[in-house]
This record gives sequence, C-alpha cells and structure tokens, in this order.
Amino acid sequence: MKIATTRLGALYIAEEKMILMQRGILGFEGYKRFVLLMPSVHEPLFWLQAADEPALAFVVANPGLIKKDYKPAIMPDELELLDIRRSEDIVLLAIMTMQPPPLQVTANLRAPILINAANRKANQVILADPTYPMQYLVFDNGAKTSRNGAAQQQAGAGQLDKLAVAMTGS
Amino acid sequence: MLILTRKLGESLLIGDDIKITILGIKGRQIRIGVEAAAGTIVHREEIYRLIQEQNRQAAKSAETSGENLSAIWDKLKSAPYPEAAKK
Repeated sequence: MKIATTRLGALYIAEEKMILMQRGILGFEGYKRFVLLMPSVHEPLFWLQAADEPALAFVVANPGLIKKDYKPAIMPDELELLDIRRSEDIVLLAIMTMQPPPLQVTANLRAPILINAANRKANQVILADPTYPMQYLVFDNGAKTSRNGAAQQQAGAGQLDKLAVAMTGS
Repeated sequence: MLILTRKLGESLLIGDDIKITILGIKGRQIRIGVEAAAGTIVHREEIYRLIQEQNRQAAKSAETSGENLSAIWDKLKSAPYPEAAKK
C-alpha cells in the first residue's frame, strides 16, 4: 500500500510490514499502524512512521545500543497482551528526542516500544522500575562506540532487520 | 466525578472486573490494591502524563530534525561532550 510521509515522500509498503499498535503510543493512541524504516542496514536510528498520518514519525533506536546493559523486566501482562510466547520474539525500541542546537539526543528508556517480532503487534510499555530515565542522554553514554558490529547486543535485536523496511537512497 | 467514602479494608467495584481496595492509611499516604482482569494495565497518573509529554516532544523534535538519520548519528558521534555530561 502507498503511505504518504512528509519527510520521505510516498512509500510503497507491503501490508504485512506494518507494526500494529494495540493501545498505541501514549498521547498518540489514535494511530495504530506504523512502519519501521531503516535508512541503511545496521544504522542505529530508525524512523517509526505512522501509516495514516504523513507528519507523524518518531526517531527510534535499539536501546541495547544506547545502554549496553539494558535488559528491563517487562510485566507479564504486557507480554500477554501482545501474545509474546518466546523471549526471542521480544523487540524493544527507545523513542528518541532531539534537541538542537547544540545537538543533544535523549532516549526514553522508561517507556520503550515493545514489539512481538512473531506477529508485529506492539505497545508502548511503562517499566515498573523507576530507575530507567525518560531522558537518557545518548552520547554521554556509549553512542561514541562504533555504529558497526553492535547490532546483536540485545535479545531480539536481530529481529529488527526483519521488522524494518529498508529505505533506499538515504 | 462520583465521590464515595470508604473505610480501611473496604472496596469498590468498577464494572465487573476491576476491584479497588483501601489497604492502609498512614498520614497522607494511602495504600490501594487493584485487582483487574489480566491485560488491564494500571499506571500512576503522573508517570503516564510525563510519558505522554515526552512522546509529544519526541514527535515534535523529529519534525524539525530533517530526514537524514545518518547525519544526526554522525553529528552525535563527533560532537564534543556537553557541559552537562562533564559534571
């Protein structure tokens, strides 16, 4: 299907590539269908583009790349809601906030997006552990490491390639 | 808003599957138990609101960040540490 986006123009995305929000993203509950767009393979940042609103997109990243020991406990109810049966189907994405200039990027590690790689159902979940910050300053904390070779550090991170749609030309 | 008075140990039923019980009162703090069907997610309101606001900021910041994510990441990698990070 054709998806209009304000940043990337018109995209043609197969229906089965949609990420299907259940409750949705807090504050944006009305938007249920998203596409995960990967600028190039193993790029740390992705676009999470709303399929039904051209102007709505989030910059997201694999939180395992941002904080190496990021392995939060997720409430069983949240896993249940997405029919997650196997830990290898768990994919987490952190929503990034950019603050220019000077450029600062923070990652929301308290409320990641949880995706079931097996069925593409997703939700934003709020972690019970209050020590995960909502504004984790990124490059103070490891983004200076190489972008290459770090894609597999988190359980399920290898699933990102499967979930995402590769973009050409950027 | 419906306003009810409850005593310690008493409960409220909301619909058929949500039960709220007053478990303890200590000064200005009240312990509340929530029983609900599996899959009902309960949040502290202030956290919920903060995350909504963070999401709005994130969406807004993405609007102005341009389309080139590689450039953002490259800038990040080469940027000097901010003052905040030195503290």
